[in-house]
Amino acid sequence: MPAELIRILIGLVAVAVSVGLIGLVMVWVERKVAGHVQRRPGPYEVGPYGLLQPLADALKLVGKQLFMPDNADPILFWLAPVLSFLPVLLLFLPLPLGDGLFTLDVNLGLLLILAFSGLAVLSLLLGGWASNNKYGLLGAARAVAQSVAYEIPLLLSVLAVAFVSGSLDLATVVKEQGTWPWNWNIMTQPLAFLIYIVSALGETNRAPFDLPEAESELTAGFHTEYSGMGFGLFFLAEYANMVVVCSVATVLFLGGWHGPVLPGPVWFVLKVSLLMLLLVFFRWTYPRVRFDQLLNINWKWLMPLAVANLMLTAFFVKLAQYAVVKM
Amino acid sequence: MDALFQGLSLDYLAACDYAKTGKTWQVFLPASSLVKAAERLRVADWHLEDVLALDCAEGFVVTYHFAHFDKPGRVAIRVLAPHDAPNVPSISHVFDGALWHERETRDFHGVIFEGHPNLIPLLLDPDMADCFPLRKEPKSRAKTREMLEVGEVVYCRPSFTLMTPDAPAEGQESGGPAATA
Amino acid sequence: MTRYADMDQVAGDFYTNNFAKTAKESSLILNLGPQHPSTHGVLRVIVEMDGEYILRAEPVLGYLHRMHEKMAEVKTAAQFIPNMGRVDYGHALAWNWAFLGAVEKLAGIEVPERAEYVRTITCELNRIASHLLWWGAYLLDLGAFTPIMYAFDDREKVLDILQMPTGSRLTYSYYRIGGVALDLSEDCLRSIREFIPWMRSRLPMYKDLVSDNIILRKRIEGVGVIEPELCRRYGATGPVARGSGINYDVRRAEPYSVYPKVDFIVPTSELKDARGRYDVRMIEIEQSLRIIEQCVEQMPEGDILVKGAPKPSWKAPKGEAYFAVEGGRGKIGVYVASDGGKNIYRTKLRAPGYSNLSLFAEVSSGTILADAVAILGSLDLIIPEIDR
Repeated sequence: MPAELIRILIGLVAVAVSVGLIGLVMVWVERKVAGHVQRRPGPYEVGPYGLLQPLADALKLVGKQLFMPDNADPILFWLAPVLSFLPVLLLFLPLPLGDGLFTLDVNLGLLLILAFSGLAVLSLLLGGWASNNKYGLLGAARAVAQSVAYEIPLLLSVLAVAFVSGSLDLATVVKEQGTWPWNWNIMTQPLAFLIYIVSALGETNRAPFDLPEAESELTAGFHTEYSGMGFGLFFLAEYANMVVVCSVATVLFLGGWHGPVLPGPVWFVLKVSLLMLLLVFFRWTYPRVRFDQLLNINWKWLMPLAVANLMLTAFFVKLAQYAVVKM
Repeated sequence: MDALFQGLSLDYLAACDYAKTGKTWQVFLPASSLVKAAERLRVADWHLEDVLALDCAEGFVVTYHFAHFDKPGRVAIRVLAPHDAPNVPSISHVFDGALWHERETRDFHGVIFEGHPNLIPLLLDPDMADCFPLRKEPKSRAKTREMLEVGEVVYCRPSFTLMTPDAPAEGQESGGPAATA
Repeated sequence: MTRYADMDQVAGDFYTNNFAKTAKESSLILNLGPQHPSTHGVLRVIVEMDGEYILRAEPVLGYLHRMHEKMAEVKTAAQFIPNMGRVDYGHALAWNWAFLGAVEKLAGIEVPERAEYVRTITCELNRIASHLLWWGAYLLDLGAFTPIMYAFDDREKVLDILQMPTGSRLTYSYYRIGGVALDLSEDCLRSIREFIPWMRSRLPMYKDLVSDNIILRKRIEGVGVIEPELCRRYGATGPVARGSGINYDVRRAEPYSVYPKVDFIVPTSELKDARGRYDVRMIEIEQSLRIIEQCVEQMPEGDILVKGAPKPSWKAPKGEAYFAVEGGRGKIGVYVASDGGKNIYRTKLRAPGYSNLSLFAEVSSGTILADAVAILGSLDLIIPEIDR
């Protein structure tokens, strides 16, 4: 199937380019939003409205010496940032940006995304472990505990939506939803949406759950020892992961490409951007939680709630099927 | 204050003028009764403000300033440590705050606090542990009685000569700013 | 990596090795600092950890040690004043005041009343700046990035005001033996009058912005409980003691200057934890505003420097004096002893942060790393003051 292969190749290139672009844009957005939240203009020297600032930042990162501490494990040390970045590219493949606008048509798209996003923690663990740094080690340990914990409610909340839609294919999930907000899954699954957003923050290590890199405690956690593009790749992967979780949220809960008047992809990008902005706002608004609190939130609140939500959903879905059959 | 130190072996006890020197009592103790005095102050809820050494001609005058959270006043407990063997018992097990103050005094003056659990350099580099920056040249050391306030003597051990001999004649406190250049 | 398993024992410096002697077999020894984001400069704390739990902690000082006490021995009293602005960059004027208060007490110099008012106003303004600095930096420690910008926005206004009479923005050396260097101009007084209501309007905003935030409350409530008894043992003063319910403020306990004439409360908190210390400092900003307001109203006309004020070559008379003021971090005490020579014979600086930090080892053991950072921050550390 060369056609399929070409499609995937084009998709991969497009994804790689757009991830880079998104990274640049997000750096600018994040700094600009942070600036305005903090009553300062943010970057404004380089280019109009500081638009070229991320380019300058990227140039600086690329130009920096790649530095590895003594006695670090060289293979694992350099593998970690690459490993953090590569699976992210795959995550974009099954995402439907519009009706028929996707790279890879898999009927288990959701599963693919969740499976590969689980790989992210491996890179954090490797990076933290291989840098021969105690802060890195602590950060890695935190990253693992956190990812393992937050993956469960994330999966459970996603599963609830899959129950409603009856499919793990992302395109099908979107098609099940309608044009208007009240046709979206968020109306039937508000709790699942909330759980999803909170656990997504935990999964992507974004503030207030940025404990693996909590700079006031662990200086920079797992990436303490990384410089130049080693750090840059972690950085890029973080933004790419954010885009992925926001896209999945859009697909699952916010009707994907559906929306009045404007074409589908525009709606999709708009919704994702709004969610991203929300995450950025979180970061610049809240203090960081403590590590035991983080796990408490998960095990004592998110998990039971997600399980209860899933069971209720299953019950009502079954009930509805039964009612349909009866009629 | 004299009631507080009842029965302790004191050298010198004087009430001082707060308005002039910022302290209300001054006590000279032999090193042997320092810990007991500290314990009594501890029971009476005084807290340790600081520990300092004053390098005088007669020896290091190790001074402990105590103040109280509920009532005004300041007590200066003083112990004389001779230059050749500057040993003073540590009060760090009574006042934990003394842990660092004593280490600092050791850094600056080389006063050894016996019984201190961790008398390692605190502010100075461990490599210069034998260099005591605040020790004076022997010829430039001043006499104790020239600087310390005599106060209103309540008790003075007859053999204690640090403050007594020509102190009243000096009148350094009543003189005020007479020594202006 | 097993090859390097004993690396730390080999590579550790004097303090690490000394600390590691009594460490348990399987624990992790971590050096927080001297370069660490939450140690505010160059404090170093060696901690022994079991997972995230801290078994033992030991602060290591001296990375910013400048031996001010030795410098005092080689300078005349007047020449030493600029040093005092550099001991504590947060509340520099209180240190100015403590040293000059001791020298004035030693020499029996009476400060003109207007100068006392000027000192009180500027010192309280500086206290507000100090508390704002703490507030921003503390929340930064707790992972909230934004408040420090708001705090610095307001602090900037204070610094602008203080710049008018003092000429500097951080390391002031504004007070003189027997008064102050410059009078408060009309312009300056007007700015102060404008600043007071503005700052008052900001405090509720701070509360809405972050003080009531649930994450913040969970981070600092019940964290780092310091019993009053502990304060007494370690000689902790200032907001640390007041946050533990000890009603002790040098401005009240040993009244100096015009403080007996102004009306203000000494806030205390019975919470004893980081929250208590947080609340105390926030109320202190309000109280400082009250003091400034009253002082500006009551301030008489007159000299700002005593007649025949000492010149730089002035020799302090024989004697000794101890003078304590309430700084942003607690009781600042300066002891001077003079033999009548050119320079003051011995100057001893009692830094409040020094005593406050010394209790950290005891309070932090058994907490988790994040709490230790929260406790460290709640003590309001200014490292140059601790190291002197």
